[in-house]
Amino acid sequence: MGIRFYAALWVCKAVRLALRVLKRGGTTLPGKLAFKLCPDILARLSSGVDTLIITGTNGKTTTSRMAEQIMLSARVPCIANRSGANLMSGVVTEFADNVNLFGKKRLHHAVIECDEAAFAVVTKYLKPRAIAVTNIFRDQLDRYGEVTHTLECIRTGIKNSAGAALCLNADCPLTASLAQSAAGEVTYFGMNVPSDNASGALSDVPRCLRCGGSYEYDFRTFAHLGGWRCTDCDSRRPEPDVAVSAVASRGADETRAHFSAFGEALEITVPLPGDYNLYNAATALCVTHAMGIDSGTAAAGIEQAHCGFGRMERFDLGDISVRMILVKNPAGCDRALDYLTGISEAHTCVFCLNDNIADGTDISWIWDAGFERLSFSEGKRFAVSGTRAEDMALRLKYAGAAEEDILKIRSEAQLLDFIERSGENIYILPTYTAMLSLRDKLGARCGKERFWR
Amino acid sequence: MEIKICHLYPDVLNLYGDRGNIICLERRLNWRGIGCSVTELPLGEKAALSDFDLFFIGGGQDFEQELLLADLASGKADDIRAAAADGKTFLCICGGYQLMGAYYQTAEGHKCDFLGAVDLYTVGARERMIGNLSFKLGEESGGYEVIGFENHSGRTFLGSGVSPLGTVTSGFGNNGADKTEGVRWNNVFGTYSHGPVLPKNPALCDEILRCALERRYGRAELTPLADGFEQDAHRAALEMINRKKQ
Repeated sequence: MGIRFYAALWVCKAVRLALRVLKRGGTTLPGKLAFKLCPDILARLSSGVDTLIITGTNGKTTTSRMAEQIMLSARVPCIANRSGANLMSGVVTEFADNVNLFGKKRLHHAVIECDEAAFAVVTKYLKPRAIAVTNIFRDQLDRYGEVTHTLECIRTGIKNSAGAALCLNADCPLTASLAQSAAGEVTYFGMNVPSDNASGALSDVPRCLRCGGSYEYDFRTFAHLGGWRCTDCDSRRPEPDVAVSAVASRGADETRAHFSAFGEALEITVPLPGDYNLYNAATALCVTHAMGIDSGTAAAGIEQAHCGFGRMERFDLGDISVRMILVKNPAGCDRALDYLTGISEAHTCVFCLNDNIADGTDISWIWDAGFERLSFSEGKRFAVSGTRAEDMALRLKYAGAAEEDILKIRSEAQLLDFIERSGENIYILPTYTAMLSLRDKLGARCGKERFWR
Repeated sequence: MEIKICHLYPDVLNLYGDRGNIICLERRLNWRGIGCSVTELPLGEKAALSDFDLFFIGGGQDFEQELLLADLASGKADDIRAAAADGKTFLCICGGYQLMGAYYQTAEGHKCDFLGAVDLYTVGARERMIGNLSFKLGEESGGYEVIGFENHSGRTFLGSGVSPLGTVTSGFGNNGADKTEGVRWNNVFGTYSHGPVLPKNPALCDEILRCALERRYGRAELTPLADGFEQDAHRAALEMINRKKQ
């Protein structure tokens, strides 16, 4: 191994150590520097490491946490970018952390979540054994341009990964279309039943990708996801290898569902609410199967999984609980709103809308999300905060709220005070940077780990 | 009184929160006790366009463009041109705005004929123009400063017979060169301020409604609304843009 590699590795480790001493996360800068110094550092750090990559628009972090827990249940500890630093820099940082100063590797397996655009670059160096694509929705269009651009980024990544097994969402016509680019084995996951809030209000793939015809659905789960088929050509939803076959019960903190996984019937309590977490569980079952884990072990792993940071995460503050649900695009936001409409007890919803680069500087998407489904009536209070609080308040007004029913909270400090004094349960829907910062402060008040531990 | 809105191609032209504009038009009519109906006209469906007062066309992605042009060629193009020439009110955004012009020439030089309803054309470029946008409306549209967000690679140039909708105060506008933004011709409003331009700019929304009401009833009385949150959002966005300019 060359001088450049060691120089890059040592810089990476030194910077990471320094940032941690300064109590900063250090989840991306070290990797960024290392990649500059030695562009193929990731190829060296990841060679001989059995890696599964999870990409797609929504559910990357939660699916990765489930997959990691499944690997642990199989007694296979993994490298993982748990903080959600899912660009090239974040991935390099985690892999660099796995070797000692002489480049010797500690762990030989990895569960990596990867941003869709970064996936095309990461896979030039890192050759995964399995890839899961969760779904494709409109997201951060100021960065990606168009949905089809996101699709092409993922396609490039798949072409870069000739040896990888590919796990695709059968219910998403965009995602399922990636099968044509696969060199290796393809398996599918999906839901065989409609979700609790099935609607097809907003489709990101209105017309058939192959022939331009229209899609027909036997059932819908979310947006353009469901039992689709083209009316003009023979494209249709592939039969999933892992599927949610029935939902037994939906609770405030968990969902019990029947799955069929490679011919085996399983009943699993997914320890997170919301039907979209059933998709995440099916994805995790599918992708860990490609890593050679049996379905029984995988089911046990899912039952012990924890949510990703800020993804349906609960904080207990004295008598009240605060649940944080990260939102960053219309599809994910609609799922969070569905969840909120199902809560009958008195509570406060806080929407924190930031427009920093990591959130997306274009906040137009809030008008694609269906805030109209909220009921602005007795027993529910609404507050807005964040750098674009005024836009959020306006969105709620046009969704049916009266101005006097929306509380605007200027700063994060005021928001924390408000939460502590609220006296009732709180649901916070923050964008990414709002989540990171709030999570840190709320976590400190109830003894949770910082995001990078 | 009632305004009939036609949302053209909501299935393929709906990229950036475009439906926020429909919600806004509808609410601001309802709050004033004016009736409003919204008819969606997706690909392949036909309706007599002369029945409508106000047309909305949003932005889309290149992928579905061919299908769209084929659908227009089946007769809708003539109807749209006729409606625009007849003084019907249009709000056309981003891709929908480009579509009203004569043609779109790609960065590679391939020329694609568009509607030709308004004297303008668009030339593609590789570099996208992305970011917050503000522009001051022309006097005929009220002189108000509009705040929005743009994200387009096409550069649009206006013909001699049409006026820009406004003058860029921050951002790129039509082409990043001549400080013009959008178009105003007859009652056609075109802009690159994509997605939900109307909620934060109630004066622009009301100007569009005024045109539609006048065309239909010969007069328009728009009672003022208590635009508390609208003005807050407008002010906050303007402050943010000015802060970033410094």
